[in-house]
Amino acid sequence: MSALRLISNRTSQQAMSNSDYTWEYEYYEYGPVSFEGLKAHKYSIVIGFWVGLAVFVIFMFFVLTLLTKTGAPHQDNAEPSEKRFRMNSFVADFGRPLESERVFSRQIAEESRSLFHFCINEVEHLDKAKQNQKGPGLETNIRFQEVPRSSGMLEEDLSCHTKFNIPNFVNTEQNSSLGEDDLLISEPPIILESKSVAQSSHRILD
Amino acid sequence: MSTERPSNLLKHPGQTSIPSLENISGFSLNVTDCTQVVVPEEVFFTVAAAGILENLLVLIAVIRNKNLHLPMYFFICSLAISDMLGSLYKTLENIFIILCKMGYLTRRGDFEKKLDDAMDSMFILSLLGSIFSLLAIAADRYITIFYALRYHNIMTLRRALVILAIIWTFCAGSSIAIALFSYEAATVIPFTILFPLMMFFILCLYVHMFLLARSHAKKIASLPTSTVHQRTNMKGAITLTIFLGVFLCCWAPFVLHILLARFCPHNPYCACYMSIFHVNGTLIMCNAIIDPMIFAFRSPELRSTFKKMFFCARSNWNW
Repeated sequence: MSALRLISNRTSQQAMSNSDYTWEYEYYEYGPVSFEGLKAHKYSIVIGFWVGLAVFVIFMFFVLTLLTKTGAPHQDNAEPSEKRFRMNSFVADFGRPLESERVFSRQIAEESRSLFHFCINEVEHLDKAKQNQKGPGLETNIRFQEVPRSSGMLEEDLSCHTKFNIPNFVNTEQNSSLGEDDLLISEPPIILESKSVAQSSHRILD
Repeated sequence: MSTERPSNLLKHPGQTSIPSLENISGFSLNVTDCTQVVVPEEVFFTVAAAGILENLLVLIAVIRNKNLHLPMYFFICSLAISDMLGSLYKTLENIFIILCKMGYLTRRGDFEKKLDDAMDSMFILSLLGSIFSLLAIAADRYITIFYALRYHNIMTLRRALVILAIIWTFCAGSSIAIALFSYEAATVIPFTILFPLMMFFILCLYVHMFLLARSHAKKIASLPTSTVHQRTNMKGAITLTIFLGVFLCCWAPFVLHILLARFCPHNPYCACYMSIFHVNGTLIMCNAIIDPMIFAFRSPELRSTFKKMFFCARSNWNW
């Protein structure tokens, strides 16, 4: 009995070692699997998994797209002065640049950080460089046009410039705390009448 | 991990009882069995090499350009390193297999076993590193949006490096632990739960950011001077879907494989799913190729660094 077991173990080990590191070896490693009497197709898990995955991704995409069309509750957790800066670069990079006034205030350069958009990062570098006094080392800048830069970077600056548009919100610091939506808006009446904004934007977007 | 051998994560714990069946019954499998789907070695090597090269380029570009020494890029570098590890693992495994076939390495040697264990833990390290790097990138972007004014103070360079050190230490420890204790269900279940949990968390972060962008875009669009671009938000939806869809499609098949290997290795349906393991491995390497494109190469600064590197190389060659 023990001898039989020993032989079987050795043979199985041989089988397993034969299966070691060969590409053509079939998937016997988990022991013999009977394929008799399958009710469904044998690749049903594979097909079901991939179909489910595709459906999920498409569903996620449609949910996200629908969020752009219908009104969804806004976020009001951050301070208005914070929200003021963050959406410009976010929207600008997430989509085409919005045709609004470009105003680069000093506060933006000093305090804001772009989310995906690295033009603002470069502005920060400019500030850091100013502190570290390594001005010539900088490659790009957005708002300090007077800083000398290499000509090769000029096109990139311009492309950054066009991509990154900050609406004129500088004047609305005090006013933006009012109203339901605290996101930056240049004119106070728009902030206060958030519902009408939503409706009009709804109309425009549709 | 090579599936043909009883590798750690894929081994059925009750395997000692199975060998007795093989020899005694003379069991022969059905003609309609699910045979292992084989990916040609050339394809494997090409995909793996492309992944390694691309991520290496990202790393070199970030290291060389001082402007890119920012927390955001460090997290992208961390993602590039974990992708590189995954591709490197597959390449080494391929080489290992070829060497075994050619007879330079013994098959059941002690050294080879240890080498294989080390490679398994490298692979798990790559998976965990990918997940946590993506999480770090999403959290970094989230802080940038919602705490924009305090971002400087929250995410300093030093803190980013500390966070990365913690992440990689945790991943290294977990990968070694998982590789050592892969027999227990207690290892497999947390490992597979971690994956959808992280995915869901990242999805929530991005959806929150996306909602804010959308509502802000609406506000901007409502201005009398602005023209409305509905493509703006479409593009955001597409970007988000690509981020998460790529990660899901490349890693989920493998995670499901681990689950099935642990819980139903003898079920014919599960065995058929497990026969496409090499395709799943190739998908993971494709993820290593796609990730730099959707994270690193979106930065104009990084792209310009690449161009400079290539032009410098070309001018050197012209000499």
